[in-house]
Amino acid sequence: MASRIIGWIDQRFPLTHIVKHELTDYPTPRNLSYWWNFGFLAGFVLVLQIATGIFLAMYYKPDVNMAFDSVQHIMRDVNYGWLLRYIHSTGASAFFVVIYVHMARTLYYASYHKPRELMWWTGQVLMLMIMATAFMGYLLPWGQMSYWGAQVITNLFGVTPFMGDKIVMWLRGDFSVGDATLTRFFSLHYLIPFLIFAVVGIHLVALHTVKSSNPSGISLADKDNIPFHPYFTIKDLFGLGVYLIIFCTFVFFFPGTFIEAANNIPANPLMTPPHIEPEWYFLPFYAILRSIPDMLGGVVAMGLSVVIFAILPFADRTNIPGGARHRPVYRAVFFVFIADVFLLGYVGSQPPSGALVPIGQVATLIYFATFFLLPPTSKLEERWMRARGLSPQLMALFDQRPPREKMSHKGGAV
Amino acid sequence: MKRLIIFAFCWLACSAWGEAEVQLNKVEVATDLPTLARGAETVMTVCNGCHSLKYIHFRELAKLGVEKDKVDGWRGSNPMGTAIASQMPADAAAASFGKAPPDLSLMAKAREGEANYIYSYLLGYYTAPDGTTGNHYYPPTKMPDVLAVAGVTDPAQLAELNKKAREVTSFLVWAADPHAQERKSLGLYVLGYLLVFTTMMYFLKGRIWATLEKV
Repeated sequence: MASRIIGWIDQRFPLTHIVKHELTDYPTPRNLSYWWNFGFLAGFVLVLQIATGIFLAMYYKPDVNMAFDSVQHIMRDVNYGWLLRYIHSTGASAFFVVIYVHMARTLYYASYHKPRELMWWTGQVLMLMIMATAFMGYLLPWGQMSYWGAQVITNLFGVTPFMGDKIVMWLRGDFSVGDATLTRFFSLHYLIPFLIFAVVGIHLVALHTVKSSNPSGISLADKDNIPFHPYFTIKDLFGLGVYLIIFCTFVFFFPGTFIEAANNIPANPLMTPPHIEPEWYFLPFYAILRSIPDMLGGVVAMGLSVVIFAILPFADRTNIPGGARHRPVYRAVFFVFIADVFLLGYVGSQPPSGALVPIGQVATLIYFATFFLLPPTSKLEERWMRARGLSPQLMALFDQRPPREKMSHKGGAV
Repeated sequence: MKRLIIFAFCWLACSAWGEAEVQLNKVEVATDLPTLARGAETVMTVCNGCHSLKYIHFRELAKLGVEKDKVDGWRGSNPMGTAIASQMPADAAAASFGKAPPDLSLMAKAREGEANYIYSYLLGYYTAPDGTTGNHYYPPTKMPDVLAVAGVTDPAQLAELNKKAREVTSFLVWAADPHAQERKSLGLYVLGYLLVFTTMMYFLKGRIWATLEKV
C-alpha cells in the first residue's frame, strides 16, 4: 500500500529521487570532523527559534504600554511560558555561537575557495539577516537595555551624509524609539526568520551542487565519499545530543546569563542606564565602532568589519588546498585573528577608558590587516612553501586534483 | 552633538564602573517555604507601604504558606487574584521621596549582583558623623533605613537583622522567578534524558561507522 502511494506521488513529484539524491545516497566525504556538525546545528537552532517564537507571539503584545508586562505574563502565568521564553532568549545566543563556529571552521580550512564562493556569500547574507533579527528581537521585551540599545544603534545611521536624520526617523517611525519602532521591529522580527529559511534553502542547493568541503581541502575521489544516511545522520544526532546538553544546562540552570540585569527594568526614555552595552555577539564589532575617533569613520569601519569576510575568496590567493591544515602562516594568522576577535569582544564589553582605548585601536588594526594583507602574504607563503619543498602528503593531494587545477611539482607559476 | 552624546554615555559608563567596585556581601538564598513566607510577611508589612509587587497576587502569598488571615488583612476587600499594589499611591510617594519607589517583583533580577545586591543594600545603612543616614551600596538612595540597621552594634540584634534581610532577599528572589524550582527540577530530568540519548547515539554511531571498510 505504502509503495503504491509513493509510486503514485513519484509519477507526479520526484519524491524518491529527492530523498535518495539529497539525503540517503547524498555523497559525503568520510573524513569530515566534528567541526562539520555546525551547519546542521545552525539549521536546528533556526527551527527551534521559529517554533518557540511562534508560540511566544501568541502571548506577546507589541505595545509600549503592554510589552514588558506581557513578557512577565509569559514568564509567570502561561503554562511553560518560562520554558519557551528561556529557550528563545538562550537560543539567540546559541545561534551566534553555532554560526560563529561554523564560520571559523570555514576560515580555518579556507573552505570559501573555488567552487564554494556562493556558499560563503549566501552564508554571509544569512549572518547579516540573523544579526538584524537578533537586534530587532532584543527590542521586544522593552527593557532598559532593549530601548537604549535600539536608540544607540538606530542613531548610528544618522551619520549618513545629507539625510542622516531622515533615515534615523524612517527606521524608527518616530523622532525617537517608541511605539512605532516596537511594532515595526516586531513585524520584521517575525518576517525575517522565514526569509532566512528561504536563504538556507539556497545555501543548501549550492551545497548539494558543490558538495561538502573536507579537512584535506581537495575533492575526494568517489571511494572516499560515503552516503549521508546513515553515517552522517547518526553523527549529526550525536552532535545534536552534545549540543542540547550544553544548551539545556543554560536554559534550565543559568537562563539569566544572557539577559542583562538592566533589561529587567521597564524601558524608561528619561533615564539612561549607566552602561549601555550590546549583546555579547555584537561586542567585537561594537569595539571597532568605538575604536575609530570619528563617528562616521567608526560606523563605516563597523559595517566593513561585518561584510569584509566576503572578499576572502579573492583575497586568499594561494593554490595550496586545505587552508590552515597545510599552511603554517595562514594557520598562525587564523589563530591571531580569533584571539584578536576575543580581545575586541572584551574591549567592547568594557567602558572605553585608560589603556583599553589604544588596545582596542591596535586590535581593530590587526582585524583589518588580516584581510588586507592576505593577498600578498598568501602569495609569499605559497612561494616559501614551494621553495622548501612540499611534503609528500601534500604532493599526494595535488596528484588527486583534477588536471586543470593541478600545478607543477617543481614550483613556479601555475 | 552626537559625539557629545557618545561622550556622555562613556562618562556615565565610567562612573558606573567606579561604583561597581564596591564589594557586595554574599547571601545564601533560601528556597524553603517557611523562610519565603516570613520574608513575604516582612515585605508586606514594611516594604509594601511604598513599593508595589505588581506581578505577584495575594493568592500566591497564601500558596507560600502565609497565614490566611494575614493575607486577608492585607488584601482588604480585594479578591485573592488581585495584584499587590503599594499602600501609598505612586505620586504621593514620589512627592515625599522625590521619586516613585520601584516595583519589587523583579528587583532580584534588575540589579547587578542580584540577590547579593539586595541583601547588601538592606544591611548597608550607616549613620554619618553629621547624624544623617547613608547607604554604602547605593549612596543616592531615597529609601529610609527601614530595617533600622544604622548604628546597631549589639551582635544578637545584628544577627536578627541579617536573618530578616536574608528572608526578604529570598522572598524577592522567589518573586522575580516563581518557576525557578520547577525549572531546576525539570532540568534534571531533561539533562538525564539527554545524557542517556547522547550516550546511545555515541555507541550507535560507533557501530554504524564500524560497517565502513578501513581506508
